[in-house]
Amino acid sequence: MADFLALAVQQTINGVYLGCLYVMVALGLTLIYGVLNQINFAHADFVTVGAFAAFFAATRFATKALGLADTTGYLLSIVVAFGVGAILGLIINAAVFAPLRERGDELRPLIATIGVSVLLENGQLALFGPIPYQFDSPFARETIRIGRIFFTQQSVVVVLVAATSVAALYAFLRLTFLGKALRAVSQDRETAGLMGINPGLLIALTIVISSALAGMAGALLGPVLVLTPFAGATVVVKAFAIVIIGGFGNLEGTILAGILVGVVEAFTVQYLGSGIIDLVVFSLLLVMLAIKPTGLIAEKKEENV
Amino acid sequence: MKRVIWLFAVAAACAIAPLSAGAQDKVIRVGILMPISGPASYFGVMGKEGIELALEQLKGGVNGYRLQVQYEDSACSPLQATNTVKRVLEQLKPHIVIGEECSDASLAIAPILDQAKVPMLNAGSVTMKLTESGYKYVFRIFPNAEQQSLPLAKVAYETLKARTAVILHEKTNAGNDNADGFEKPFVAMGGKVLAKIDFGRDVNDFTAIATRIASLGKVDVLPTFALEGQTVRLSQALAQAKIVKGGGGSAVQMGSIWLPYGFDQKAGQASEGYVRIVQFDPTENRKIVQDFVKAFKAKYGADKVPTHINAHAYDAILLVAESVRRGATDTESMRDRLSKMKDVEVTTGRITFDGKGQNSDLSVVHFVETQKDLSWKALNWR
Repeated sequence: MADFLALAVQQTINGVYLGCLYVMVALGLTLIYGVLNQINFAHADFVTVGAFAAFFAATRFATKALGLADTTGYLLSIVVAFGVGAILGLIINAAVFAPLRERGDELRPLIATIGVSVLLENGQLALFGPIPYQFDSPFARETIRIGRIFFTQQSVVVVLVAATSVAALYAFLRLTFLGKALRAVSQDRETAGLMGINPGLLIALTIVISSALAGMAGALLGPVLVLTPFAGATVVVKAFAIVIIGGFGNLEGTILAGILVGVVEAFTVQYLGSGIIDLVVFSLLLVMLAIKPTGLIAEKKEENV
Repeated sequence: MKRVIWLFAVAAACAIAPLSAGAQDKVIRVGILMPISGPASYFGVMGKEGIELALEQLKGGVNGYRLQVQYEDSACSPLQATNTVKRVLEQLKPHIVIGEECSDASLAIAPILDQAKVPMLNAGSVTMKLTESGYKYVFRIFPNAEQQSLPLAKVAYETLKARTAVILHEKTNAGNDNADGFEKPFVAMGGKVLAKIDFGRDVNDFTAIATRIASLGKVDVLPTFALEGQTVRLSQALAQAKIVKGGGGSAVQMGSIWLPYGFDQKAGQASEGYVRIVQFDPTENRKIVQDFVKAFKAKYGADKVPTHINAHAYDAILLVAESVRRGATDTESMRDRLSKMKDVEVTTGRITFDGKGQNSDLSVVHFVETQKDLSWKALNWR
C-alpha cells in the first residue's frame, strides 16, 4: 500500500509539472480564441521562438557576455523569452493580422496564421539549422528528494512561473481597466467600440500577451524539448486538445484541463503504457465533446434582453 | 570567301555538337532522398556534408563518368518520400537512389524503386522488412535491427551478467524491430524483460517513464532505441530518478548505432556508463577513417568531428563510385556490381552484400562505454 501511495504521489507530481507546461502553452491559445474567436495556428512557432530566445539569452548572453551565474542566466532567459514573444506578437499583428482584419474578413487572418507559421518555421530553420540544440536548465541538475519522492528544481521553477503567470493574467483581466475592456471586446466587439473602447488596440494587446506567454512557455519547455525549429509543434496539438477540453476561451477551464491532461498522461504511462498517451488524451477529448461540448467550464456570456 | 568560312564553321560546330553532348552524357545520375525538413532533418544536413565531401574527392569522375546528384526532401515521412521518389524517377531518371534515413520512409520507397528496377542504397534504416521482403534492387550498408540488437543482448547477458531488462523504444518500425531484436535472444538466454516501453516521437518529458521504471524493481540493463534528442532527455530523466549509473544508480543504459558521435556531450553526466555499439568510430586507427576525419575537418572546421551519419552518406557515394569503377553504366549493371561487392573497405567498415542486399560484414562493429569525462572507451566485447 505504501508503495502504491508513493507511486501515486510521484506520478501526480510528474503530472502536475507536465500539466503546468501544457497550461503555459494553452493560455495564449485560449486567450486569442476568447477575444478574437480565432485559432492561432502559428502559436507553436511563437513557443519555439521563445525557446530559442531563451537558449541564446541563457547560454550566450547572460552567462558569457554578462558573466552571470547559470541559474540567474536561466531565470533572466525566461524574462527575455517573454519580451521577445511580446515584440514578435506586436510586429506580426501590425504587419499581418491587423491589415487583414481591417478588411473585415474573418477567414483571411485565420489562413494568415498558417502562413506566419510556415514563415517562422522556415526562418528559424535558415537561422538555426535543423540539428537539435541542447538547452539544459541548471535547475534540472538539482534533484529534491523527500523520502522516495523526487522532483527537480526545474519542476518547482515551472510550477511557480505557471502559477505566477496565471495569477498575473487573472488579475489583469479582472482588476484592471484594460483587462475589463478586453473582456468587453471579447463579449461584443461592436458595442465595446461604441463605449469608447478601441477594439483594434485591445486585439493587438491580446496578441501581444498571448505571444509573450507563448515565448515564456518556450523558455520553460526549452530544457524539455528536443530544440529544433519544429519543436513547438510537438506540444501544441496537446495544447489545442486542452483548450477544447477546458472550454474554448475559458481561462479556468484551460488551467484545469491542462493539469488534468498532465496527470492523466503520467498515470497512463504508469499503468497503461506510454505508447497510448495520445489515444487516451484524444479519447478524453472526444468524450468531452460528446458529453459536455462546452468544455469543463463553459464560458459565461451575458446576453442583453 | 567569308561566306564559305562561315559555312565551314557552322558545319564543324554541327559535327562537334553530338560529340560534346556524348561526353556530357557520361553521367551517373544519383537521386538522394533525405529528410531536409522536419524533426529528423539533421540526418539530411549531416548526410549532405558526407556526400559533398565524397563528390569533391571524386570531382575528376570515375571511368570517365561524372556523378550527378539531386537532393530531395523526403522529410522522414512515408507519404512525402513516396511522392518524392516518384518525381525523381520521372524527372531525373536515376541510375541509383540513396536513401531514406528513416525506416518508415525507406519501407515506403523500396517497392516503388524495386518495381522501377532502380537500385536503392540505404545507409540509415534498421527495419528488418527492408531487406527481408524479397526486393531485388534494395541494398543496405547499415546493420539491420537484428545485427544491432543481437550483440547488445549477448553482451547484456554474458558480459554484463544482466538478468533483467527494460526495453525503451520509439514507436516506429525501426524502434519495434530493434526492441524485438533484443528481447528474443535475451529471453532465450534466460533473461527477463520487465517491461517494453514504447513512446511516440512527440514525447518530450520522460519523468513519468523514469518513475515507472523505478517502480519495477531491480533493472540491470535498459536497451534504448530512439533518436538522439529523445535519448538525451530519456537518459537525463533516468539519471534524475537514480536508475542509471550516470545518476548514481546501478542499471546500464545500452544503445545502438542510432546515436551520433556527440550524444554523450549533450546528455552530460547522465550518459556516464552508457554502453553502445558503434559502426563508425572517428578514433579508429584504420587509414580510411583517419583520412576521412582529416578531410572532413579540413572542409567543415577543425572542431567538427564527423558522425556515423556523415560517414554512412560518404560511404554510399564511395560504393556508387566503386560500382562505376567496376563497369556499372546503367541501373542493371549498377545492381549487378553492387550485388557482387565483397570486402570493400569504407569508413564504416567492410561491405559484403548478402543475397538479400544486406551488408553482412560486421567486423568493425564494436562496443564503447561513456566515461566520466564523457569520452568513449572502446571495449573488446563481441
